[in-house]
Amino acid sequence: MASDPIHLSVQNVSLSFGGTQALNDVSFDVRAGEILALIGPNGAGKTSMLNCLNHFYKPDKGRILFESHDLTRLPPHRIARLGLARTFQNLALYTGLSTLDNLLAARHIHMRAGFLQCLLYWGAAHREDIAHRQVVEAIIDFLEIEHIRKAVVGALPHGLRKRVELGRALALEPRLLLLDEPMTGMNQEEKEDMARFILDIHERHAKRMTILLIEHDMGLVMDIANRVVVLDFGVKIAEGAPDAIRHDEAVIKAYLGEAQ
Amino acid sequence: MATPDTLPKCLIAACQKYSGRKIAMRQKDRGLWRAFTWQQSYEQVRRLALGLIHLGLQRGEKACIIGDNDPQYFWAQLAIQAAGSVAVGLFTDSAPPEIQYVVQHSDAALVFAKDQEQCDKLLDIRAHVPAVRRVIYWDDKGLWSYHDPWLISFEEAQALGQTLDAEQPDLFDRSIAEGRGDDVAIFCYTSGTTGEPKGAMISHSNLIAGSDQAARVDPRYDTDEYVSFLPPAWITENALGLATHLRTGMIVNFPEAPETVQANIREIAPHALLFSARLWESLVALVQVRMAESSRLNRWLYRLFMPVGHKVAGLRFEQRRPVGLLWRGLNALGEFAVFRPLRDKLGLTRVRSAYSSGATLNPEVIRFFRAIGVNIKQLYGSTEAQLHTVHVGDDVKFETVGVPPPGMEIKIAEDGEILVCGPTVFQGYNKNPEATARAVFTDEQGRRWFHTGDAGTLDADGHLIYLDRLKELITLAGGEKYSPQYLEGRLKFIPYIRDVMTVGGAVEGQAEARLYVTALINIDFDNVGRWAEKRGIAYTTFVDLSQKPEVYALIQNEVERVNRSLPPPARIRKFVLLHKEFDADEGELTRTRKLRRKQLSERYQDMIAAMYGGGDSVRVRAAVRYRDGREGIVETSVRVAALVEDRL
Repeated sequence: MASDPIHLSVQNVSLSFGGTQALNDVSFDVRAGEILALIGPNGAGKTSMLNCLNHFYKPDKGRILFESHDLTRLPPHRIARLGLARTFQNLALYTGLSTLDNLLAARHIHMRAGFLQCLLYWGAAHREDIAHRQVVEAIIDFLEIEHIRKAVVGALPHGLRKRVELGRALALEPRLLLLDEPMTGMNQEEKEDMARFILDIHERHAKRMTILLIEHDMGLVMDIANRVVVLDFGVKIAEGAPDAIRHDEAVIKAYLGEAQ
Repeated sequence: MATPDTLPKCLIAACQKYSGRKIAMRQKDRGLWRAFTWQQSYEQVRRLALGLIHLGLQRGEKACIIGDNDPQYFWAQLAIQAAGSVAVGLFTDSAPPEIQYVVQHSDAALVFAKDQEQCDKLLDIRAHVPAVRRVIYWDDKGLWSYHDPWLISFEEAQALGQTLDAEQPDLFDRSIAEGRGDDVAIFCYTSGTTGEPKGAMISHSNLIAGSDQAARVDPRYDTDEYVSFLPPAWITENALGLATHLRTGMIVNFPEAPETVQANIREIAPHALLFSARLWESLVALVQVRMAESSRLNRWLYRLFMPVGHKVAGLRFEQRRPVGLLWRGLNALGEFAVFRPLRDKLGLTRVRSAYSSGATLNPEVIRFFRAIGVNIKQLYGSTEAQLHTVHVGDDVKFETVGVPPPGMEIKIAEDGEILVCGPTVFQGYNKNPEATARAVFTDEQGRRWFHTGDAGTLDADGHLIYLDRLKELITLAGGEKYSPQYLEGRLKFIPYIRDVMTVGGAVEGQAEARLYVTALINIDFDNVGRWAEKRGIAYTTFVDLSQKPEVYALIQNEVERVNRSLPPPARIRKFVLLHKEFDADEGELTRTRKLRRKQLSERYQDMIAAMYGGGDSVRVRAAVRYRDGREGIVETSVRVAALVEDRL
């Protein structure tokens, strides 16, 4: 693992909102083919970090390198095209559309047919339509959401919406997947299902999908992550294998300190 | 060629008849229905059967299958049988210890396990099942990183078969030709209510006879569509699904996933359908909920035409009178505006044979479906002897489970047990001669009869009335028996009664039985409340409504009506209307709303004592736990109603 090439490199990133220092000189690398978990108590700066990664926020200082691109200089839609897809903590789906349409919408970045062809539904447009549907159906099969293929997303329970959102991120065919608290608001069984899907996504990819996972709850994350980075008040306080993190004094203090 | 006597021979016969020209089965996969012709289905079985032989499966050995309804399940079963072995089905929700028991008990040499979930269970118990040589899976999702040579894929097994086929091209046909009708085809493990599961041994002849018998009273055609969603480890899916598919050429459609069954049924609109009584009931509830949420026009049409449907169905089926021109015209309008669209939503547009099994179906449910043009029939059977009785044609009676199909014979034993005889009676329980001896006996003419363990009676028209499991019957002090479940079922058909528990047997700790039957009744608050409002009877709470003299009179009238159709010992002599509803939160019901008799008898012992002691009312102080967790006391007086014998 340690010798794997670096897929994403966060270098000395700082971000502040007015007087609040959300991120303070944070650096870490995500290696190709690993599941890296970014954990920390509430308000530690996890989501701020993710928002910097796909440039919803612009860091005050520092660089973020994805393959050979500096993400801090690119607009979000370009970042998606580079192969970086994310899910959101509070869900961001088209609630009025069906599961199928939500996933198909994500395929737009792979669509090549011209306006006229699309208008006539002819040639490349027709072939593309079938190909995209096949990709999306494979994802539906993979995530076991056949039964809600035609269901309007807004009417689905939270756990299933989370799965649809994961499906939409997969429909982008990313090389790096950013998951923002994919297990919040789920019961234990749903969490275990989600953990299994994440592992399956990781393993099915030929060269192992690189996944950056943000979680607030330590339990399941420790079982599925290869490495863990811990943030507290915008500062990286630890980095290492799950077992080492579990016994790290600073981490225990950060998590338990809240109660004292 | 003579009539094929094994399922693999049936497959060959069907394939010769239809070859690649006709669709044998379909499965919905990635949003599309994918079809397989008879030729393709045959090829799959051929390659797989030879693969199993290559893996060392011997004639007479056993192989288990655990998985959802998929073409691969059918192919695996036929391949096992083509190799001369026995297929042992397992339910997908079985826990590892149950799987371990069946795999060990059946001495399985191979196991088919659909996917990661099932393979994981087998890996869990691997140390305890050393006889299993290989586990074969057909859905590789999540198994990419498993590199255990114990697990092989369906395709790998078929590739082995292809190699063997090239070396010995006649091996497959020879292997099938060696099969005999009385070879055991499947073991069906039944989860006995007591003790370990027993493996019923069912022969090829049993399955073919079972399918043919059903087809004799209700023909299937090779243009018929069928959706396979009942557990394939169950005898019903084997006889009415797989065997019927092979015998009649009926097209079998496999759902996309267990969660999509209802949607897939709608897409296919099958000609034959078997649901449990519970499922039919939930469909009625579903229609009612959806109608309530529907547009104003839809609701208006529904309210307008449902009574027409009920009226016409009542004339046709219950009063057996001709339907007048006016009603027929109105019904045709209803068909266009309401009934057909409703049937379409439920996937019932083409259904010729709609069956219900399990519990007795509520007449209101049957009436509802008749009103929209679907005549539901009940059937009754067992793993050991398949179909015992069924409603044939329009001869449907609410309280019966129909008549035996041709070839089947029914007898009621002295103790009330239903005995059945016919070509479907099974071969015995695997490795359990004692249980077999208890279950099967041979009469003077050498015919084999099966003890169903069920209690029933035959009515004047030869229809069977199913009561309950024999051991659930309760003996009264006079020696007569009655079935609490049947009685309660009949009483619950009264729309004003929500729940009821009958009392009559021996008291806990007392050897003595009671002389007559009594009942603790829960009124249906909504229905009785509506009835009271219409009559201007004022009430405040459930307690108040339940103790109104008018309500007592209403229920008494209804109970008397039910009593008239019961044999005298089983008639209700006294009842009370409880001041509160049975509540699962208070441990009175299970979570699936089944009665907890022991808890109920203890809690309401004063009332029960009053019904047998001659008291006419009981003061109750019942501890009630409110939904927010607080405990309180309800104090009231509950009256005992006695039914006068002369009026019965």
